[in-house]
Amino acid sequence: MTQAKKIIASGLSEAEAIDRAKGGDAEAFEGLYGLHKRRVYSLCLRMTGNTAEAEDLTQEAFLQLYRKIATFRGESAFSTWLHRLAVNVVLMHLRKKGLPEVSLDEALEPQHEDGPKKDIGARDNVLAGSIDRVNLERAIESLPPGYRIIFVLHDIEGYEHNEIAEMMGCSIGNSKSQLHKARMKLRDLLKLSRAEKANRR
Amino acid sequence: MNCQQFQEVLPYIIESGGNADQEDHLRSCEACAALVQDLRYIAEQAKLLLPMHDPNPRVWSNIEQSLQREGLLQEGRMSRQGQTTKYPTIAKQTKSGTVLGWLLAMAAVAALAAILVNYHPRPVQPQVTTADNAVGKTPFDADDQKILSQVSQQQPDLSSAYENSLRQVNSYIADAKKAVDENPDDSAIQEHLQDAYQQKAVLYEMATVRSLE
Repeated sequence: MTQAKKIIASGLSEAEAIDRAKGGDAEAFEGLYGLHKRRVYSLCLRMTGNTAEAEDLTQEAFLQLYRKIATFRGESAFSTWLHRLAVNVVLMHLRKKGLPEVSLDEALEPQHEDGPKKDIGARDNVLAGSIDRVNLERAIESLPPGYRIIFVLHDIEGYEHNEIAEMMGCSIGNSKSQLHKARMKLRDLLKLSRAEKANRR
Repeated sequence: MNCQQFQEVLPYIIESGGNADQEDHLRSCEACAALVQDLRYIAEQAKLLLPMHDPNPRVWSNIEQSLQREGLLQEGRMSRQGQTTKYPTIAKQTKSGTVLGWLLAMAAVAALAAILVNYHPRPVQPQVTTADNAVGKTPFDADDQKILSQVSQQQPDLSSAYENSLRQVNSYIADAKKAVDENPDDSAIQEHLQDAYQQKAVLYEMATVRSLE
């Protein structure tokens, strides 16, 4: 039985585990790790696209959790609080690396290099119903880092643009623009992937 | 409104909806309608992506070790996440002598194993080694006592040698535990501890197998 299941099976709720972890109970903390490791790691992996970095960042997120858990007041759900902590860990890491999280120099006016999209036979070429999650995950991994971060935060993790703007130190308009570009890029990648599959048949 | 104008504002209206002109264009333009449909579909599918990956168990091991180093966590214990174990220590200055002692103890265990496997009714000389002087009177726990009692009943000729080997292995397990406590990151010392436990397991197994014959 995993440590996480023991927390539940023994009648110890997550709230009780949190209280005990606040008091330095190592087993309770380990239980919390078991409950939340997958989501935190998946977030780190999707945002960085790199397994080794994701492991290091997961480790750092939980170390910070242990140090800061005493400050958790229950005003939000624990998972939300932990999730936000993990996002901050990743963003701090990316800032140190000097990666452009968001192109802060980008004007609010969208770029025109691609021109308006006028797909021929557009109705027949829609993606609806044709995306499988494996291809979508692969396409997300292929995104440039700045686009990927915004996409992961908004469309996968559910943060609002005002939250993303605050976290990343950009404007709400910039967040929306980058998200749009990420989705456009994904659209191209997924259509390409679908076309390649069709050609192989 | 043309497609270019519509697509320029699309990032800012795709979620909230547009004004009348923008909605009119969307209704009338197949290309823009297909584009919006695709982008919304991608967003919907992304929401369905579940966290798929578990981190490597070493992540938990590293967390535990970091917290122990910072003094925020007590000594490690058996952990299902990272398979860390509680490790005692050996004083560094006795390390080389202790390794020699281990080798001698293992040789004693191997010799005893050879004796038991090829059991002869004539008396067997106990394995006297230089490590004997360093072993001292390491106490036996309840399981040890049980095994010793079993051996003395079933193999009285071997009882003395068995007890000596068991004492040596216990002594070196204790030393190995102390060494690991002082050097928790030293994988070689951890392997020695595991080897010592395995030697003890071999001794137990020998006694058990013999009792079943």
